[in-house]
Amino acid sequence: MAKKSIVQLVSLIMAGSLVLTACGSSGNNNAGANGNSPSSAPTNAAGEGDKQEPVTISIGYATGDPATKQAIETTIDAFTEANPHVTIKNISETTSDSYLDWLKTKDAVGEFPDLVEMRDTKVFADAGKLAELPQELHGLFTYLPEYGGKFYNAPLTGNAPNGIIYSKKAYADAGVTELPKTYDEFLAIQEKLAASGISPIVAGGKDLFHMGFWVNYFLINNVYKDDPDWNSKRTAQTASFTDAPMVQAITDYKELFSKYVDKGWLSTGDNQTASMLITGKVAQLYSGPWMFGQIAEADPSFEFGFYALPNRDGSVIINGLPTLQGWSLSAEAAKDPAKVEAIKAFIAFFFDPAQYSPYLATVNGIPTTKAEVTYETGEQMQEVLRLMADSSVPKSMMINQWFGDNAIPPQFRNWFYKLLQDLVVNNGDVTEYMKQSDTEYDNNVKANNQ
Amino acid sequence: MSAAATVKRKKQWWRSYAIWFILPAFILYSVFVMVPTFSSVYLSFTSWDGISESIRYIGLDNFKEIWESPRVHNALKNTIIVAIALVLLENAVALLLAILVDQVRWLRNFFRSIFYFPVLMSGIIMGFIWMIILNYNFGVVNQLLDMLGLGVLKADWLGDPDFALLSIILSTVWKASGYYMIIYLAGLQGIPQELLEAASIDGAGKWKQFRHVTFPLLAGATTVCVMLSMIGSLKLFDQIAVMTNGGPGFATETLTYIIYKVAFGEGRQGFGTALAIVLFILILIISLIQIRLLRKREVQM
Repeated sequence: MAKKSIVQLVSLIMAGSLVLTACGSSGNNNAGANGNSPSSAPTNAAGEGDKQEPVTISIGYATGDPATKQAIETTIDAFTEANPHVTIKNISETTSDSYLDWLKTKDAVGEFPDLVEMRDTKVFADAGKLAELPQELHGLFTYLPEYGGKFYNAPLTGNAPNGIIYSKKAYADAGVTELPKTYDEFLAIQEKLAASGISPIVAGGKDLFHMGFWVNYFLINNVYKDDPDWNSKRTAQTASFTDAPMVQAITDYKELFSKYVDKGWLSTGDNQTASMLITGKVAQLYSGPWMFGQIAEADPSFEFGFYALPNRDGSVIINGLPTLQGWSLSAEAAKDPAKVEAIKAFIAFFFDPAQYSPYLATVNGIPTTKAEVTYETGEQMQEVLRLMADSSVPKSMMINQWFGDNAIPPQFRNWFYKLLQDLVVNNGDVTEYMKQSDTEYDNNVKANNQ
Repeated sequence: MSAAATVKRKKQWWRSYAIWFILPAFILYSVFVMVPTFSSVYLSFTSWDGISESIRYIGLDNFKEIWESPRVHNALKNTIIVAIALVLLENAVALLLAILVDQVRWLRNFFRSIFYFPVLMSGIIMGFIWMIILNYNFGVVNQLLDMLGLGVLKADWLGDPDFALLSIILSTVWKASGYYMIIYLAGLQGIPQELLEAASIDGAGKWKQFRHVTFPLLAGATTVCVMLSMIGSLKLFDQIAVMTNGGPGFATETLTYIIYKVAFGEGRQGFGTALAIVLFILILIISLIQIRLLRKREVQM
């Protein structure tokens, strides 16, 4: 326990100092980009028969999840080794901001990455910051997400479903022998867990994106399951947050968070949730398959399971529709043919089964390529892949993942999650809070149309 | 100075070399500070998103929204709470520390350094450290409470809206007081010993000496410290961004924090700029009132 908190402390301090080093070193990076990249230039000159001009591309991706960060770094290293004429300037930083905020800040200071992991395609495509994915790469993928008739993203992984990651020991101690078949059975299990003296659920409320896992479980199972176009109706003001299914969703959310979520959830970061589970402080975590690697790495002997949480009538709906996310080219980089070539080479390299399968294995991802990728998976990941492959399990999306007419104003998500935290801590009235959501949503729509 | 001389000097202003000393700094300051500041005033009347090329003029809509938005009202309320609490606490603690280190006989420099150390730390690093100390599950505070058998007092210091703002205020007092302590200490050491002796001969006790001699003579230092701590607290940002991210919910959002969040996070540069202008005017008014009030207290020695 003490050891764990020291590790945590050290890693947080490291994270803190990384933020600062990033500030300090950006000047040096720029100098390297402007003229000489000392490390690559000489090797290239000495290279055997490699006559390609040296080119530098910058790359940016979300580093919040350590496993993903590690996996992409490995691929970058392998790529630069195989292509010595390409220098990849990795400008990704781990900050306390959301990834969207970070990208916007980068853009504001003129450092928008040439190759960027795009999660908010709409925002940046509308602002003219993104170029279309080169035609040659389209063939790599089974499915490409489309926005406004154009393809911007090379999807890193398929949209992974969320589910309950539970400690088998905690379930056994509480006398839970069977996984729940309905949401009410799930609640009954929470009672049993609480009675056995363990805190039932950990949530990383300090990171707003973590709120999305639970909130969207309720939204999908109450709202989107019957009306996938609810968002566009809300935008057109023909649907309201005060509609019965939405109020039901938020009421369920409030009940769960008030009763069964560990008390420190608002100051717990997403990166602390795995250790809470492993140390036996809590019994369950609602997250996705990217956590499996972290958990197994932190404690290989920890036994855990995964299941998709059913809803009240016992059916299972998961978030798993392809989203507008993936590697994207910046419009700026697309003007430079040398950069485009380097980026194309990198993307092709990234999705080559030789690189892609270890990447998927590390992040527990769902493959998006046509080429068959095989990798070792644990019992939990097999359940995820089964759910994804099972066509009888309907798939849906998170509130902010819908696109086209169903896209919500990009600024709304974070505000909404904050409001929902506020709802729980102040024990507010759901309908009252949903009225506020309507007002804010309409204001956002209006502001974005101006 | 005679009237004729004034007229002459006015005519030949370029001969006054003072202007040539001021000019370079004035030009630099204008180009890099004044011009950007004033050109951003225009942005506050637009709906610019911070990314796209088109900037649309929308009149006073941003200011209307500020007037009506409950989120802004809440942030304003928090800003005022933070400002008042920080000014009072920081100055009280700083004055107390200054008196202590002024009187202490042993390890004088050691204590002075110790109290000054937190000032040297960056707000971000300090925020991270306090965040870990105050963590609900792994933090030192709660573990100590547990060890002392005071488990009932355990709280989610940064996750509970009742404590989050308080935690930020107290950790900021810890960080900033040392700085004001130095200013007060300088003031204390400038007070002539004779005055205190005279007071004690007249029969004044320690408290009366402080109340009627020391404190009034520290007026100059107080003006500076109150002024600086007020400005510092109105622009408090790093600690909030790191420790709570404005949360839980909206509980610790201050004006500076939502200016940043709205302008960069939510892509509403225009609205953010409008908020910044409101904050600018607010700080200006408060500073002017403060200077006026505090100057009155100062005496010439």
